[in-house]
Amino acid sequence: MTEVLQLVVNGLVAGTVLAVPAIGFTAIYAVLRFPNFTVASHATIGAFAGYVANTGLGLPAWAAVLVAFLVAGLAGVVNDELVLKPLRPSGALTAAIAAVALTIVLENVVRFIFGNDLRGYDLPIRRDWQAGGLRIGPQQVQNLAIAVVAMAAVFAFLAFTRMGKAMRAVADNPMLAGIKGINADAVARAVNFVGMGLAGIGGMLLGLDTSIDPLTGFRVILSVFAAAVVGGLGSIPGAVVGALTIGVAEELSLLSLAPAYRTAVGFVAILVVLTLRPRGILGERAY
Amino acid sequence: MTPSPRSVSRRALFQGAGALAAVAAVPAAARAQGGALRLGALNPLTGAGGSYGPPMRKAIEWVVSEINAAGGILGRQVQLFAEDDQTNPEAAVRAARKLIDVDKVAAIMGTWASAVTTAVAPLCWESKTFLTTVSGSDTITQLPHLGYLVRTQPNTHLQIGKLGEFLLSLKMKRVFTLAAQTPFAVPSQKRLAEVLTKGGSEQVGAVIYDKDKTTFRSEIDQALKARPDMIYMNGYTPDVTVVMKELYKAGYTGGKVAQAYAVNGKLLNSLPAEVTDGTYTVAPSPSIDSVAYKRLAKVLGSDDLDPYSCQCHDHASLVLLAIAHAKGDATGTAIKDHVRKISQGGGVKVESAAEGVKLLAQGKEVNFDGASGPCEFTETGDILDTRFRYEQAEKGKFKLLRIA
Amino acid sequence: MDTYLVAMAVFAGIYALLALGLNLVWGLTGMINLGLVGFFALGAYVSALSTKALGAPIPAGLAAAMLAAAAAGALVAVTTARLRGDYLAIITLGFSEVVRIVASNEIWLTNGTDGISGIPGPLRGRVPPEAFNLVYLGIVAAVVAAVYLVLERVRRSPYGRVLRAIRDDDQVAAVAGKPVLAFKVEAFAVSAAVLGLAGGLYGHYTSYIAPEVFVPLISIYIVLALTAGGTGTNRGAVVGAVLVVFFLESARFATGWLPGLQPVQVAAVRELVIGASLILVLRFRPAGLIPERIERIPRPSSAA
Repeated sequence: MTEVLQLVVNGLVAGTVLAVPAIGFTAIYAVLRFPNFTVASHATIGAFAGYVANTGLGLPAWAAVLVAFLVAGLAGVVNDELVLKPLRPSGALTAAIAAVALTIVLENVVRFIFGNDLRGYDLPIRRDWQAGGLRIGPQQVQNLAIAVVAMAAVFAFLAFTRMGKAMRAVADNPMLAGIKGINADAVARAVNFVGMGLAGIGGMLLGLDTSIDPLTGFRVILSVFAAAVVGGLGSIPGAVVGALTIGVAEELSLLSLAPAYRTAVGFVAILVVLTLRPRGILGERAY
Repeated sequence: MTPSPRSVSRRALFQGAGALAAVAAVPAAARAQGGALRLGALNPLTGAGGSYGPPMRKAIEWVVSEINAAGGILGRQVQLFAEDDQTNPEAAVRAARKLIDVDKVAAIMGTWASAVTTAVAPLCWESKTFLTTVSGSDTITQLPHLGYLVRTQPNTHLQIGKLGEFLLSLKMKRVFTLAAQTPFAVPSQKRLAEVLTKGGSEQVGAVIYDKDKTTFRSEIDQALKARPDMIYMNGYTPDVTVVMKELYKAGYTGGKVAQAYAVNGKLLNSLPAEVTDGTYTVAPSPSIDSVAYKRLAKVLGSDDLDPYSCQCHDHASLVLLAIAHAKGDATGTAIKDHVRKISQGGGVKVESAAEGVKLLAQGKEVNFDGASGPCEFTETGDILDTRFRYEQAEKGKFKLLRIA
Repeated sequence: MDTYLVAMAVFAGIYALLALGLNLVWGLTGMINLGLVGFFALGAYVSALSTKALGAPIPAGLAAAMLAAAAAGALVAVTTARLRGDYLAIITLGFSEVVRIVASNEIWLTNGTDGISGIPGPLRGRVPPEAFNLVYLGIVAAVVAAVYLVLERVRRSPYGRVLRAIRDDDQVAAVAGKPVLAFKVEAFAVSAAVLGLAGGLYGHYTSYIAPEVFVPLISIYIVLALTAGGTGTNRGAVVGAVLVVFFLESARFATGWLPGLQPVQVAAVRELVIGASLILVLRFRPAGLIPERIERIPRPSSAA
């Protein structure tokens, strides 16, 4: 029983961390209407930006996370302006393929600079806290805290700022938003900045506990997509619900599958949801 | 890729040119045509074995340059083509094809990782190219290599046998094996269980993981559930680094042991002392008292050579002596047929290829003993026996326990 | 040097097969298969295991590869055929990753990450390497020619027209009474069979396969080949494949001239340029070098 509980605990932590990039992914989908695979490479970019900030500049974890957010967010805007925006008029499929190609380009830029070796952040290695047969690492708890803060910031942004409200308007009804004078381009840039910034935070959080390499983002993209789809593509609360679901499901899968099959869980979840309830748990465009 | 500039010194070329006239009957086989003898080096310059590749290559280059400086073999200079296998079987196969198809080498020397050797071996025996390796997996000499393969590293059976005895001597009762996916993972597991059981202890469990992951939390959980007093980390440096970090975080306080190529100086430098302290390491010990070792140590600039550069020194020496014994027939088949004639049996004991070539030219027989050991091979290409070196990590440095 | 060129030509042929397979399902039927490398892998493993572990002759191994891939293709199509294009892209990509993970972990079956070495090849070991390469090139060229002819036939046939109708608007095709799902599944399965055949040919040529060979990057190579050559045309597929292989190999030489680059950096540059090329093609020449010519149905001569 403790085994199952431990897995659930691990799953909730993993799910909360997964929610960060999932929100980014689903927000971009809500506004720009195509699945932006480059969330994978921006997660990697964020992870490495944070790594440089931490090991190169000696910044503590929370500051390095901010760096990850800013660098990934900026990269997201630039990449979209240069590459994806001109292709969006050609349709969602072309944009999706271009996003896959772009993610390969960005991943290899990182690989060119840093090589393939695993790297760890310069953080003290501390023993896990144990209680009642369960163990949880101090780093995991910190990740949880950072993820919650990030999500709270996003919700506040969407609810209270002008740009946030404009974003919701465009996601809800782009034509009406245009008529009301909301600048679609500005909104696109904003959502890319926030969305990819969140991907960057996600990439770094993944690596804080373990290590990072150029494939960090790619390894997690299927789970991110699964979280967004399960919760309902385009719905931000849906992304959170979906991420927690996927996080726990992946951990529980360890009861019967080898650890390497966690990605398969995400894949199966996507299939199941798209076949049986394509709107996801909270439904597309629910906000 | 062009051959490395150090391997063919211009001075030696001019020296050897005069002796070219002395070349008599040279077989007309494609690879043994008049002109330079062509040999290949395939070492891990990058990847998990990346810290060992450069000294391995340097050792081979040095032996070749010594031979060339002494006039080559029967007047023919030796040309070395060196490639990086990236500790990756796929890259290694492509590099090997280039060495075999384009550079037409008679031998490929110095593959390190067992998976690399397993992938490259069929290409070698099918094209009758001689392969010398430092890989240890039992499965390698069990391949149908038709004699085109020898290795200077003790095989898994021997290595794990000694490891098991060592753990028994430490009075360990419950050993858990955490292994990366490699050709030797399963044979190691089986052999360790065998040795431990015979000594009254037990291998309480074994897990094989895919080494390309960044976290091994579930595998660690499995290991700790079995309450071992010793964990054998049978992987490579990158994954063992992560395993050790996670063992520490999980609060494990029992014993840890690994092969020295995994827990090496680089790993000790990258982790805090609390994480690595107390870890035991095992490695085959080179013949540190031999003349060959001492000369190689001077060339490589270190008193404490890793076993692989010593073995590579011996690879190059054995291959060149075999060609010399075959009267200059620089083909894989000739090397295969002659390598044991110069490495074991009667004959003058020599510890350098240059010395041996000179004696062979005088019609004498030789028996080469190298920097890694006496280099005596069985029919299947394994070495007969060797000594081992046991160390323990203490405050971020290695302490030698014994050589036995 | 010429062995090297022959080897390049063999890879170009294998890539051409992959591109032809993708063209059937994407160019003709409008279903993107970003997971084509998964079927490639499946074919490679089935053929390798049949010939090495079970001792079957190579043609039997290739046949088994085609069957296994076709079955997998049908299964994937049945579950995903109704998905929108961009979802289908991600799902098929996920499929190929799952195939790779299974290959990496089911050690009892696939030997895991160590891969399968010593895969038999026709006459390998009994003739010198140069002869082996030439023979193999002949085989691959023959297969490519055969598949090309068959697929051209399909493209021009009424069957092909139905597929294109489905590609252009499957709702209209459904209204016209065509069992759209059945057509899609069939096309996907046949396409997968071609991909599996290419996989088998790959394994027997290189003698070694491992899960890390079968990465999504290869699917991108083929998408690039098809988009650059001309989506919808089989000729474009072959031309595109040759271009991509030529480009990849010359990149290998070119980066050899760049001093001081580590192999990992050289590899990174090559992959980067491929991704960038695909983006450029999508942007500036989406119809490809050999755009599809819409064949006009000949007008019946008006009587009046």
